[in-house]
Amino acid sequence: MLSDAWYRLRAILRRQSVERELDDELRFHVERQTQKHLRAGRSAAEAARLARLEFGGIDQTKEQCRDARGLSVWEAAGRNLRLACRTLGKRPGFAVVVVLTLALGIGANSAVFTAIRTILLQSLAFPDAQDLMRLEQYEPRTANPPSFVAPTRLEDWQRLSQSFQAITGYYPGDISETSADVPERLASAWVAPRFLQVWGVVPALGRGFAPEEERFGGPRVVIVSDRLWKRRFGSDATLAGQRLRVGQQSLPIVGVMPESFRFPLRDVDVWAPSPVDAPFAQSRQSTWFTVIGRVRHGGTAAEAQADLDRVQAQLARAFPATDAAIAVRVQPLKDVIVGDVGRSLWLLFAAVSVLLLIACTNIAALLLARTADRQQEIAVRYSLGASRGSIVAQLLTESLVLAVAGSVAGLFVAIGALRAFDMLGQGLPRVAELRLDWTLVAYSLCCAAGATLLFGLLPALRTAKRPTSDPLAARSRSVAPATQRLQWLLVGLQVALAVPLLFGAGLLLRSFDALGRVAPGFESARVLTFRISADWGETTDIKALQRRMYATLASLRALPGVDATATSLAAPGVPFEYQTQVRIVEGEAVANQRSMASLRAVSAEYFSTMRIPVLAGTSCPTESPTPTAVVNRRFAALYAAGAAPIGRHIEQVPANPFLAAARIVGVVGDAREDGLHRDPQAVVYWCHAAPVPAPLFLVRTRTEPMAMAATIRRKLGQLEPRRSVYEMMPLEERLHDTFAENRLRTVLLSFFAITAVSLAALGLYGTLSYFVHMRRREIGVRMALGARQRDVASSFVRQGLRVSIAGCIAGLSLAALLGRAIAGMLCGVSPLDFVTFSGVLLLVLVAAVLSSAWPALRASRIDPMHVLRVE
Amino acid sequence: MGEERIDLPQGTLDLLILRTLALEPQHGWAISERIQQVSRDALQVPQGSLYPALHRLERRGWVKAEWGISDYNRRAKYYALTRKGRAQLATSADSWRKLMTAVGLVMDMK
Repeated sequence: MLSDAWYRLRAILRRQSVERELDDELRFHVERQTQKHLRAGRSAAEAARLARLEFGGIDQTKEQCRDARGLSVWEAAGRNLRLACRTLGKRPGFAVVVVLTLALGIGANSAVFTAIRTILLQSLAFPDAQDLMRLEQYEPRTANPPSFVAPTRLEDWQRLSQSFQAITGYYPGDISETSADVPERLASAWVAPRFLQVWGVVPALGRGFAPEEERFGGPRVVIVSDRLWKRRFGSDATLAGQRLRVGQQSLPIVGVMPESFRFPLRDVDVWAPSPVDAPFAQSRQSTWFTVIGRVRHGGTAAEAQADLDRVQAQLARAFPATDAAIAVRVQPLKDVIVGDVGRSLWLLFAAVSVLLLIACTNIAALLLARTADRQQEIAVRYSLGASRGSIVAQLLTESLVLAVAGSVAGLFVAIGALRAFDMLGQGLPRVAELRLDWTLVAYSLCCAAGATLLFGLLPALRTAKRPTSDPLAARSRSVAPATQRLQWLLVGLQVALAVPLLFGAGLLLRSFDALGRVAPGFESARVLTFRISADWGETTDIKALQRRMYATLASLRALPGVDATATSLAAPGVPFEYQTQVRIVEGEAVANQRSMASLRAVSAEYFSTMRIPVLAGTSCPTESPTPTAVVNRRFAALYAAGAAPIGRHIEQVPANPFLAAARIVGVVGDAREDGLHRDPQAVVYWCHAAPVPAPLFLVRTRTEPMAMAATIRRKLGQLEPRRSVYEMMPLEERLHDTFAENRLRTVLLSFFAITAVSLAALGLYGTLSYFVHMRRREIGVRMALGARQRDVASSFVRQGLRVSIAGCIAGLSLAALLGRAIAGMLCGVSPLDFVTFSGVLLLVLVAAVLSSAWPALRASRIDPMHVLRVE
Repeated sequence: MGEERIDLPQGTLDLLILRTLALEPQHGWAISERIQQVSRDALQVPQGSLYPALHRLERRGWVKAEWGISDYNRRAKYYALTRKGRAQLATSADSWRKLMTAVGLVMDMK
């Protein structure tokens, strides 16, 4: 079928005139010859017959002429292609091994490339996304993390800055949508004016917010997501009269966003205006917006930074009390979103590139091993007048066929890998944007072309050596020493490349293992977590909010199977950047000492729920006329000279109106609140059941936590039917999710490393088997002369080991470099970890012995009589 | 024809063609006639090899082909020696003569 298709292609491409000319030329010859015979007195018929007879087969001559003219590039390529397919078809096993090796190498490479391109290189999926900046306010004189931005300040920045087209802000919230039987929690975003303008996105249906809807007391409306629109409203084309029931209210829907717009969260379904002129939004200290600005087209972050520095200096003069200590930080939004996932991706890319290199080296060694087998065929082609170039081209075509087949198979691997990425990497930024497109195909074809040169060129040049003696006479049985050395070099190279991959994977695995074995200081098993929808408006009456929390906690506590219940600002063990500066009010505070602590806000039973021991004093009280707090042991050690600072007061710097100065009532054990990979920090637990309207609920169950889920939902439904319960999952699952990126890179790197070692072992095995095969006559002679089987076998194993050890030594220095590069990803293990080093060495040597053993055994089983008789 | 005919040793056909074309451009049939005549019928160019040889020489750039009108007023493909071909002819002729002398010396030894 291929040959037929080719024939038709050639018919089109072939210059028909060349054929016609050849025809004319030969016919002219026959005519002249006929005339010659006519003149010699033959009859017309006889003359023609003789002339044709003398000429011989016309078609044969034509074919020879075509051959003599040489082939066009297309024809040559076509012939090489057919030849390559036929040659490879003769050894399908070899072809399959090579194609699979390449599929893995190219597929993995293409998948990681796609991830890098999508996540790191492509701009965000907004119009002119490079103009989008994230603006933060922070206090340069404290070490506090950047905080959110006050609405009034946001409006000042918008009014006074010159480098921005518009500045807006948002904060995430929850809405309990009550049109169905069970209230459903919808993720929502409360947005400052100019929200859609900054993103450069218009609703797919309907309109954006009108100015009066963004003012306090104006009509309340919402914009919904395409997802919600389809799910709830069956994508009705008409918006008129559609309303969203939220709690007691029913809000008109004025617009539907395009499907691609999912900001600030992937699952956000509702956008609603947050009026910046509301009376409760006028304090310059109530900060709640995350701020995004769009600079004038083509403007840079540095220009915007300078502009806002000037604006903020102006504000500092106008409002010295609140703005003097504040500075602004401008960062391109993409950098903020992508974060430091780039490190992992580049590490993986390096790993898959090394893997591809190993695969190519492996295949080059396999092809080299066939050199001797093909010498006869090559010699025949030379004697038929082929040029070296044409033979190299033919051999390269074979490599190209393998590489293209490999990259096509690799596409399937890449598609599978991207699916897996989507599943394994849920926590990664921009994973939803991963798409299969033509770039992927183009990239893997480029890989194929590169791989062809990489693994095909050297063997082709070597195989296409013009034979010196006449190889047709005696089939050579020896391998040229230069080729032998080259093959061993390639084997050593594979080992040297596989070692750093193994080492890196080993480090990540050990680091991961160390994470699993740390004592977190709390018990994560059998704790169910969830949130209950609430509105920020409820924070106006903190007392009522607290009462509601404790009422809910008490009724949950009364359920059979529940041991303890608590709320917390954040899940223990899940990184939550809330480091703040605190100050012990009374006593001998060291001047200028910055007391940094992690801040948590927890309800009374938190410590018993999480099984964190109370070392001194008491746990948080359920109710207290004045604010109270509990600190951990590390805090006491660091900032109170080890003494339990019970009875003293602690406050944030600067003072936080939500969490006012509190009396310390107890000291608890150290827990890894800020992530299992970090040593316990100093922590201050403010005793506050509801610092936010929807804190995390923690329920300690007697059995498997999810088994209680339905019971708890039912109970909560009875208590407050209008609220929805969401994010219900065991605490362990939250901890698990925290390490999504870590786990992804560990799993992938381990997989690549195992593949690399397997390839290297396979390379060693193949090369050694080949040498045994080529030298079987010599071995036969040696054994006939009295060499012992053991000596023969061990000589081959020694050879394999020597090369592997050399490769290991070269590889370990690469590994040390790699270790240093990934030091930042490790936890509880040194980047030059000795155990990992020895483990890698041991693994490689065992693999080397195993893969040498079989060929060596075969060598020792050679029957001298048989070999000598056959040869 | 008859018993006088000698089979052309490998590689000599190219030399003969180049030598023939050194006189004047010719078409294929005339080349084979000329060789036959000059060799007094001793050399008969196998017509099946003549044209492949011409095409091969053309590809190597030693001759170039052009369509012209023959003495019988028919379109014919004329081959002419190129500069490269002339140089090749000189080298080949030289080594041919050397070979002949050497072979002659060996054959004549006593």
